[in-house]
Amino acid sequence: MKYGLFLGCNISFNRPDVEAAIRSVSPLLGVELDDLNGQSCCPTWGTVPSVDTIAWCAVGARNLALGEEKGIDLVTACNTCYSSLSEARYKMLNDAETMREVNEILKKIGKEYKGKSKCRHVAWVLYRDVGLDRIKKAAKYELDDIVIAVQPGCHFLWPSKVLPDREEDPFNPVVLRELCKVLGADVRPYTRMIDCCGAGALKSTNQEKSYKLAKMKLECIRKETDADLIVTTCSSCLIQLDEAQEMLRKRGEIDFSIPVLHYVQLLALCMGFDPERVAGICVTPRDEIISKIVESGRK
Amino acid sequence: MEEHVPAVINLTYLWKKEREELGEKVIETIKGFGAEGIEYCMQCGACSSICPLATTGFEWYNRRLIKAIDFGIRDELFDDVTPWACVACNRCVEVCPRNVNPFEVMFAMRRLMIEELAVPMTAVQALKSLYDHGHAVYTTGREARKKVGLPEKPPTTDSDEKALEELRVLLRNTKLPELGLFPMS
Ligand code: SF4
Ligand code: SF4
Repeated sequence: MKYGLFLGCNISFNRPDVEAAIRSVSPLLGVELDDLNGQSCCPTWGTVPSVDTIAWCAVGARNLALGEEKGIDLVTACNTCYSSLSEARYKMLNDAETMREVNEILKKIGKEYKGKSKCRHVAWVLYRDVGLDRIKKAAKYELDDIVIAVQPGCHFLWPSKVLPDREEDPFNPVVLRELCKVLGADVRPYTRMIDCCGAGALKSTNQEKSYKLAKMKLECIRKETDADLIVTTCSSCLIQLDEAQEMLRKRGEIDFSIPVLHYVQLLALCMGFDPERVAGICVTPRDEIISKIVESGRK
Repeated sequence: MEEHVPAVINLTYLWKKEREELGEKVIETIKGFGAEGIEYCMQCGACSSICPLATTGFEWYNRRLIKAIDFGIRDELFDDVTPWACVACNRCVEVCPRNVNPFEVMFAMRRLMIEELAVPMTAVQALKSLYDHGHAVYTTGREARKKVGLPEKPPTTDSDEKALEELRVLLRNTKLPELGLFPMS
């Protein structure tokens, strides 16, 4: 199993511990990663997709072509990259004129995109290609007695028609829950599981409204699951639920603290990798949950 | 011309404006910016029932924006930030029973606003950063990467001058330079 590791901006610069986690777990799970040298921003929504469809597809196609040239698909741990690249590909595959115009532009830099390579989400690669059995075997620690609330994130789910892998019911997603359960966790559902975390454009436009969404979700998690840990598949949700939570605590709007991890970080911790490297960046403290995983969870 | 949507909408005025001033129906303009399905909307409200913008009290979320455009309103909306708050979550696309693709309407409005230079600074900065560094989100501080034992530069345009130049050439061959948002030479 070989994929091109598509990093995206948030993971590269803000949360490189997520990158370290993917790079750590992959070889032990039979996944080979290519660096896709020269990759850029996916493009994220607030950039060229807000300007022009062809420009959006062209930047996306250049990134996808880096994999296609090597005969591999991309894999990402960022929901935004996943959906921007998937939607761009969908547009190109479903409209010959878009594909033609994009390739006209790519020709100027000596590139071509045929539509073969796609961008997969790391959670789906783990679930479908690696498989739950192999994940279970690779884990050194079991998450006994640890209660998890999951945050799949919008772009993991919708619009399902453009995504390469689809939940049977995107309004009742199971993949992330299954991935957590196989590590031994008690995964509890909650009403606002599929609600938006409030990150992205909403946050840069109106911080207060963004916090309002985060607060609604966090309070729901607290009340309905009493979770020890929130696990997400998206780097934006990770940053938002971690940082907005700290802000809400500081302002006295919430009086609890629930650590947040990306799934690949949780997996890397369970596989015994150095917590400083694979989960060392956060503002909502993680020390307690990490000790709990490492000290009491030995299989 | 008032810069907000008036309490009483004068349909005759809007109809005349489309014919005499704009030379095109606003809905056609929006279709041209990628929202081809807008006319299928039946205002059922499924999209707004699950839109995070509606939940948090933004004014011109998907269903309402579609109605406004259908009436021929555009310039009056240029001061409104709602399209720029759209998280592109695509919930609305998933639930729309008429294949309208409300997300594309929000983004078509952005594309029209950008042409009219009714664009928030954060969007211009993100575009400029994409052009300058190949990354919309970019930091020069690399403590985080060093801390977790990774090379200071990721294997992106950040560590590859040739790739960055390639991306710039690509961007110069899109619609972006026409807009004149920042120098691109
Ligand atoms: S769900 Fe579709 S048809 Fe219904 S109001 Fe929204 S865009 Fe219109
Ligand atoms: S894509 Fe935008 S308009 Fe549609 S539901 Fe999400 S935030 Fe609302």
